[in-house]
Amino acid sequence: MDVANQSGLLLKTRPAKLTRRQHETWIGLLFLSPWLIGFVFLKALPILAALIFSLTDFQMLTPESTKFIGLENYVRFFSDIEAGASLLGSLRYFLLTVPLEMIVALVLAAIFTSERLKNKRLSQTLIFMTSIIPSTSIFFIFLGSLAYANRLIFTPLNLPSIEGNGLLLPFMALWSIGPGFLILYSAMKSVPNEMYEAARVDGAGPFARFIYITLPMISPAIFFTLVINLTGAFGGAVLLDRGYILNFSLSPMESYINHTMFLEADLGYASALAWMTFGVMMTLTIFLFWSAKRWVYFPEEHEDEQI
Amino acid sequence: MNRSKRGGEHSRLTLRLWDFTGTAMLNLFMFLFLVAYLSPLPFMVIASLTPRNQFLDGNAPILPSERVKFNYEGKDLIVYEVPTEHGIKHWALYKPSRKSSQFIDPNNPQAGPILWQGAWRTLKAVYEFKPTLDNFKAFLSVARMSLYFKNTIIVAIISEIGVLFSSIAVAYGFSRFRIPGIKYIFFLLIATIMIPSNITLVPTYYLYSGHMLNWIGTWLPLIVPHFFGSAVLIFLLRQNFKSIPRDLDEAAMLDGASPLRILISVILPQSIPVVTTVALLHFFYIWNETRLSSLYLGIAPHLQLVSFAVQRNQTYFFTPEALMVGALMVMVIPVIVLFLSQRFFMQDMIVTQIEK
Repeated sequence: MDVANQSGLLLKTRPAKLTRRQHETWIGLLFLSPWLIGFVFLKALPILAALIFSLTDFQMLTPESTKFIGLENYVRFFSDIEAGASLLGSLRYFLLTVPLEMIVALVLAAIFTSERLKNKRLSQTLIFMTSIIPSTSIFFIFLGSLAYANRLIFTPLNLPSIEGNGLLLPFMALWSIGPGFLILYSAMKSVPNEMYEAARVDGAGPFARFIYITLPMISPAIFFTLVINLTGAFGGAVLLDRGYILNFSLSPMESYINHTMFLEADLGYASALAWMTFGVMMTLTIFLFWSAKRWVYFPEEHEDEQI
Repeated sequence: MNRSKRGGEHSRLTLRLWDFTGTAMLNLFMFLFLVAYLSPLPFMVIASLTPRNQFLDGNAPILPSERVKFNYEGKDLIVYEVPTEHGIKHWALYKPSRKSSQFIDPNNPQAGPILWQGAWRTLKAVYEFKPTLDNFKAFLSVARMSLYFKNTIIVAIISEIGVLFSSIAVAYGFSRFRIPGIKYIFFLLIATIMIPSNITLVPTYYLYSGHMLNWIGTWLPLIVPHFFGSAVLIFLLRQNFKSIPRDLDEAAMLDGASPLRILISVILPQSIPVVTTVALLHFFYIWNETRLSSLYLGIAPHLQLVSFAVQRNQTYFFTPEALMVGALMVMVIPVIVLFLSQRFFMQDMIVTQIEK
C-alpha cells in the first residue's frame, strides 16, 4: 500500500516529459556534480567555521575561553595600520611582478609557437625548471649568485657592487614564469591553424597575426593567469606551491595572516583578516570579470551566460 | 619575360636569405635569453658540490675546493700562503700563536719548524679544486629518499587520475550547458579560489580528525579532495573549452551524439595542450606541496612525501650546501616528467570527425 502510494507519488511528481532546456540543465548539473558534492561536504563546513571564528575571540592556545564578540575583530582591522600596510604591500607586489611576468611569458610563448625555433623540448624544460625550486633554496641561490657576480665581474672592473634589495621581486617574478608560460603556450597551441592561414592569404604579417588572431584567441587564458596571479598576491590559491618556512611568504598579506594565526595563535582575528582580504580580492576580481566583457573573446556566447 | 623570371629567382633568393636570418636571430635570441635566465643556476650546482665550511672562509675560491693539508709527524697541518723576504711561500702551520707562529716547509720538512713573525690569522689558506659528493651522501643518510619518492609518486598518480576526470567533467559542465543561475555557481567556484587557504586549515583539520572522518595519518586528506575537482584547474579548463567553437559539437549533437561522447570525441581532442598543462601543474603541485603533508602525515613517518621531508632536512642543516642539495633532489623527477611530457605539446592540433 505504502509502496504503491510512494510510487504513485513519484510518478505524479515526475514531469511527463522534460523539455529540451530542462534536459540540458539536468545533464549539465550531472557534470557539475563532482565539484558541487565536494563543495558541500568538504569545503562548505570549514568555510562556515572560519566565518564564525571571525566573530569570536578564538585563541588557539586557550580555546575553552572563546566567546562571541560580534564585529569587534572587523573594527580592529580598520584601526590596524599593519593590516592596511600589508594589503597595500600585496597590491604593490601584484603590480610589480605580474605585468613583468606576463609580458615575458607571452613573448616567450609566441616565440615558441614559431616552427623555426630549435630544441624546444630542452628550452621549455629549462624555462619551467626554475619554478619548482623550493623557496628555502631560492633566496640562497639569489644571494649566492649575486655575491659571485660581484666578486667575479663587478669588483675586478671597479664597478659598484649590486645590492639585492630591489632585484629580488623581479627575480622571483621571472623565476616563477613556468605555469603562466605553460598556460599561455598551450592556449596558443589550441588556436586552429586555418585561422593563421586565412590571415596569411589576406596578407597579414606575423605581427598583425599576433595582434589580431593570437591575442584575442588566447584572451581567456590571459584572463585566467591574471586572476590566479591576483589571488596568489593576496594569499589565495596558487598554481605551484614552493613550500615556505614558518610564516614567511612572498605575499605580504599572507605573511601577516599567518603571523597572526601561527605565532600569535589569534585565530579569531586571523579569520577576520582573511575575510577582509577575501573581500578586497573579490572586489578586484569582480572588476576584472566586468572588464572581461570588453576584452575576453569567446566564440558564440549565449546571451544569458557571458564572461 | 626573361627579366621577370630573373627577378623571381632573385626575390626567391632574398626570401631564403631572409628566412635564414630570421631563424638564426630567433634561435640566438632564445639562446641568449636562456643563458641570462639560468645564470644563477651554476651557483646551485657549485654549492651542492662544495665541501662543508668553505662558505665560512671569505677568502675561499668560488669553485668547490678543499684546503691543502700536509702530513707532518702524523698530524694534518693546514697550508697557508706566507709572505717572506723570498716571496710568498706555501707553508704548513705547525704551532700557531698570536704574534709569531712556527711553520713547516712541505718541500723540506727535515729542516724542522721555521719561526715566522706576524699574525697567522691574517694569512690566506691554500685551496685545491676538489668537488665532493659528501653533501649528497649526508643528505641520503638522514632521509629515506627512495621511500619518499615512491610515496609521492603513488599519491601524485592517484590524485592525478581523480583531478583530471572530475575537473574535465566539471569544466565541461560550466562551458557547454545552459543552467539557470550557473553564473552564480561559477562565482562560488571563483570565491573558493580566493579564500586564503590557511584560514580554513583549523576547521578542515577538525573535519579530517578523529572527531569526524578520522583521516589523520593517512594519505586520504591529500587524495580524496582532488576527486571532487580542483577549482583552479576547473577554471583553467573552462576558459579553454569555452574558446572552442561550437560548430563541431552542434553538428555531432545533430548526429545524435550524447554529451559525454561530444566531450570525449570533440572537445578533448582539441584540448590536448591544455589538458597536458593541467596534468603537469597538478603533478608539480602535489610534488611541491608541504603544508598539508606536514599537517596530516606528521605522525606517519613511513607515509611522508618528498618535498616535506626535504624541507625538514633543510631546516636541520641550514647551510647553503644542504639547501642546494635538497633543491636538486626535489627537482630531479619533475624535470624528467616535464621533459617527457613535451611530446604532447609538440603535436599539432588534430580535429577529429565524429564517427557516426
